Amino acid sequence: MAVKKISIWQKAPQVVLSALLITTAAVPLGCQPRQGAGDTGVKVLDTFRASVYRSLDPPKQFDVASARIISNIYDPLLEYHYLKRPYELVPNLLETLPELGEDKLTYTFKLRKGIKFHDDPCFPDGKGRELNADDVIYTLKRFADVNVNPQSYPALLENRIKGLDEFREKTRQQKDLDYDQENVSGIEKVDSHTFKIVMTEPDPLLLMSFATSPLSIVPKEAVEKYGRKLEHHGVGTGPYILDKNPRKGVMVLKKNPNYHGTYPTEGEPDDQSQGLLEDAGEKLPLIDEIRLPLIEEAQPRMLKFLKGELDSIGIDRDNFSKMAEKVGEKFQLKGEFAGKFNIASANDLTSFYITINFRDKTFGQNKAVRQALAYALDTPTYIEKMDNGRGHALNTIVPLPIAGSEETIPVKWYSHDPTKAKAKLKEAGYPEGKGLPPITILYPSQDKITKQNHEFLRNQLAQSGFQLKGEFLNFSEFLQRKEGGSFQLSNSGWGADYPDAENFYQLFYGPNKAPGPNAGSYQNPEYDRLYEQMRRMSPGAERNTIIEKMALILKEDVPIVFLRAPISVGMRQKWLLNSKPNLMLGSTSKFLDIDTEAKARGLK
Amino acid sequence: MVGYTIRRLLYIIPTILGVAVIIFVLFNVAGEDPVRIALGQHATPQAIADLEAQWGLDQPLWKQFLDFLRQIVTFDYGASYFTGERLGEAFASGALVSLSLTLPPFVLGLVINIVIAMLIAYYRGTWFDRFSTAIAVISMSVSYLVYIIAMQYFLAYELEWFPINGYAPGWDAIPYLALPWLIIIVVSIGPDVRIYRTIFLNEMQANYVRTARAKGVSERGVLFTHILKNAMIPVLTFTIVAVPFLILGMFLMERFFSIPGIGDLMISAINNGDLPVLKGMTMYITITYALFNLITDLLIAAVDPRVKLH
Repeated sequence: MAVKKISIWQKAPQVVLSALLITTAAVPLGCQPRQGAGDTGVKVLDTFRASVYRSLDPPKQFDVASARIISNIYDPLLEYHYLKRPYELVPNLLETLPELGEDKLTYTFKLRKGIKFHDDPCFPDGKGRELNADDVIYTLKRFADVNVNPQSYPALLENRIKGLDEFREKTRQQKDLDYDQENVSGIEKVDSHTFKIVMTEPDPLLLMSFATSPLSIVPKEAVEKYGRKLEHHGVGTGPYILDKNPRKGVMVLKKNPNYHGTYPTEGEPDDQSQGLLEDAGEKLPLIDEIRLPLIEEAQPRMLKFLKGELDSIGIDRDNFSKMAEKVGEKFQLKGEFAGKFNIASANDLTSFYITINFRDKTFGQNKAVRQALAYALDTPTYIEKMDNGRGHALNTIVPLPIAGSEETIPVKWYSHDPTKAKAKLKEAGYPEGKGLPPITILYPSQDKITKQNHEFLRNQLAQSGFQLKGEFLNFSEFLQRKEGGSFQLSNSGWGADYPDAENFYQLFYGPNKAPGPNAGSYQNPEYDRLYEQMRRMSPGAERNTIIEKMALILKEDVPIVFLRAPISVGMRQKWLLNSKPNLMLGSTSKFLDIDTEAKARGLK
Repeated sequence: MVGYTIRRLLYIIPTILGVAVIIFVLFNVAGEDPVRIALGQHATPQAIADLEAQWGLDQPLWKQFLDFLRQIVTFDYGASYFTGERLGEAFASGALVSLSLTLPPFVLGLVINIVIAMLIAYYRGTWFDRFSTAIAVISMSVSYLVYIIAMQYFLAYELEWFPINGYAPGWDAIPYLALPWLIIIVVSIGPDVRIYRTIFLNEMQANYVRTARAKGVSERGVLFTHILKNAMIPVLTFTIVAVPFLILGMFLMERFFSIPGIGDLMISAINNGDLPVLKGMTMYITITYALFNLITDLLIAAVDPRVKLH
C-alpha cells in the first residue's frame, strides 16, 4: 500500500543521530583531565586494585588484595629485605633480629623506641601513641582468638608457642574472653619494649611467621572503638594512612610523616648499577600519596597504563607476544614498547605440578607408570607454548628465589623422552599403553585457559600411550575431591607461606597426608626421617645435603610431575624509580619513588 | 481494583516462599561451599568447623532455613561473609550509581528505539526496512562484550573522546558515564527495534487501522493517535519488567569502566558462595519483579479499557 510521506519522517534519521549525540555532548570530548596529572611537587603513585579486598583487619584477611593494603597501613615485627635474594629476614619494628636463648626455645624481642601509631580518634586527643610490648602481646592473643581468626592461625602459629593453643581453646569455649586476665605461658613481657616468646620445640622457621601481614600489630584502642568496622578502617604504624576508602572507587593512602623506616643501604651486586641504591638511607616512604582505583578488567588497565595513567602493570598471556619476548633467559619489550617503558620480571614463589594419588590402583603401587608419566611430559614446550615462555622448568619442588632451591641443590628432573616413557610403560605391564585404562585429572576451574592447558597435556601424553581425560570442577568441589582422596591425578600448585624449602618439602611428609597438604598421600619412611631432621636445622650446607637426598627420593618415587614455576613479567613507566619485584613483601610502595617532572611530561 | 491489588499482593507470598526454598536448596545444600572457598586448600578440620560455627553453617538445615525466613521478614540478611559489609550498606553506596549508569540510556534508548521501529514499520517492505532489519540482526549477533571492548578501545583510547574508565561523584560522573551510556544504547538498538517493529506491524494490520484510514484520518493521525497508543501496551509490558534490573546495574559495564555500582554483587556472591548477599539480592529481585508485574497489569488496565482485572 502506498504511504504518503510525512516530512518529519524524512528528517527522522537526523533526529535519531542528534539524540545520540546529545547523549554524549555533555562530554568535553578529547580534553579529559588525566588521572595522575597535576602538581609536580606531590609524588603520587598511580596503581590499581584488581579485586575488592575482603578485610583490612590483619588477622581476618586471607587474600592478596587485603594483604597488599594492610602492608601499607600496618607493620609486622619483621620483614624481608627489599633488595637481597634469596629473601632475607630483617627487623622492622624491632631493634635487631630476635635473640635465641641457650635453651634453643626462647626468643627475646626488643621493640624500637619512638614508633607511633597513626593519629586516629581511637586515641586520647586523636594523637597516635607509642608502640609497646603490650600491643604485641595483645596482637598475638587476638590472632589466636578463634572468634577473630578461624583462618590463618593453624598455618602460622599452631603448635609453635607454649600455651597459645590452650588460649585459643579457651576462646572457643568463651566468646568474649578478657585477654588481660589470661596469661599465655610462652609469651612474657620483660619491660615496656621487650618481650619473650617460648617455643614448644626448636623451630628455626618461627620468625618467618612474624613477617606476615596477618600478624601485623593492631592497637587495642582501635579494636575497641571500631569493632567490625576495623575491617574497612586502619590504625597501624605503617608507612601510609588510609585516607579514602570507597567500596569500589579510588582508595587513597597518604604518607605517614612519622614512619620509622629507612631505605636499605645494601643489596645485590647489580642493584647499585641499576640505580636501586640511589636513595640508600633515606627516610621512608618516598611517595606522598598512593591512588588505588578498582580496575578489575585487563583491557582498561592496559589502556590506562599505555596512556601513562598507571605507573606499572603486569603483562598477561594475551598481550605478551605483542609486547614482549624472551631472549635466552631474559625478557625484553618489543617495538614501540621498548623505548617507552621499562620491563620487570621476577620468579614467582609458586610451583605448579600434577599430584599423583598414591591410593589409586593404577599409580599408587606402580612406580614405573609414574616414571613413564614424568618422561612423557615436555615441560619446556608446555611453558613455551602455553605460557609464552613465562616460566621455569623445575628440577626440584622449590621455586628459584627461595633458599634450598635447585640453585644450591644439584638435582636434575626427568627430561622429555617418549621412548623412555614407552619403555617404562612396558616395564609397568602396559606395552604401548595397551591395557592402561584412561586416566582422569582434576582441575579446580572450568575456564578457557585451563581447558587449553588440558588439551596440550592430553595431546602430549597420548604420544607416549596415555589417554588423559579432564574433569573440570568448581573450587570447593575440587578441594573436597582431593581431600577425600577420590582422584587419580590433580592439577596442583603451592605458593610459599614463607621463603624456605621446608614449606615445599612438607607436601610429601607422611603425617601431612590428605586431607593435609600431602594431597597424594605419599608415604616414604626414609623421606619422613630426613624431613624431620631438616625442619629443625638452620639454613646451611649440612641442611642442603639432606634436602638433596630428599629431592632424589622424590625423583625416584615421582609423587608429583612438575609443570612449571611461573615468572611474572610486567612493565613500568620510566618515571617509576627504585622498582624491584619483591614477592615476600605485601607491598613495596614505601620503597618506590617518582620522578615527578618526567611523569608530568609523560602525561601531557 | 483495590481488591484485585490486595489479592495480587498476597499472591506474592507463596512466590517468595517458593523462591526461598529453591535458593536455599541451590546454595545452602548444593552450591559452592563458602567455608572451603574462604579457607582455601588444606584447611584443618578444626578451622573448617570454627568458620562454619562463626557463620552459623553448623546448624541443622531446618534451622538455617527458618533463619532465612526470619531474614526475609526482617529484611536483614546479615553481613557478607567476605567483606563484612551489610547488604543495606552496599545498596546505599552503590544502587544510585548503578541507576545513574542504567536509567538514562534505558529511557533514551526506549525513545530512540521506538522512533526507529516506527520509521521501519512505516517504510515496511522497502529497502530501508530490509536494510534496517538486517543491521538489527547483525548487531544482535555481536556479543555485548565485543561492543564494550571495541568501543572502549577505539572511542576512549584511540580517539580520546572519553576517559578510558573511572568515576567521580555527582555531576562529575557524566564524562565517565557517557561512553557506557552510548554502548548500552547501541547494544539495545538491535533487539529492541526488532521487537517494537513487530509490535507496530501487528497493530498496522489491525481492523481499527483500516477503519480509521477509511474514515479519512491522516497517516500521521493513524500512526500517533491509534497505532502508537495501542502498541504501547506490549511495549509497556516489555519495558516495565526490566525496571527492577536497572538498580542491579550492569556487571560487565561496571567492571570495564570501574563504575562503583552493585552490578558485581550477585556475580561475586555466586562465585564465593556468599550466602547473605546471595539471599538478599535474590529476594530483592523476586519481590521487586513481582511488584512490577503487578504495576504492569494495573497500568495496562488503565490504558486499555478492554482489560478487566479479576
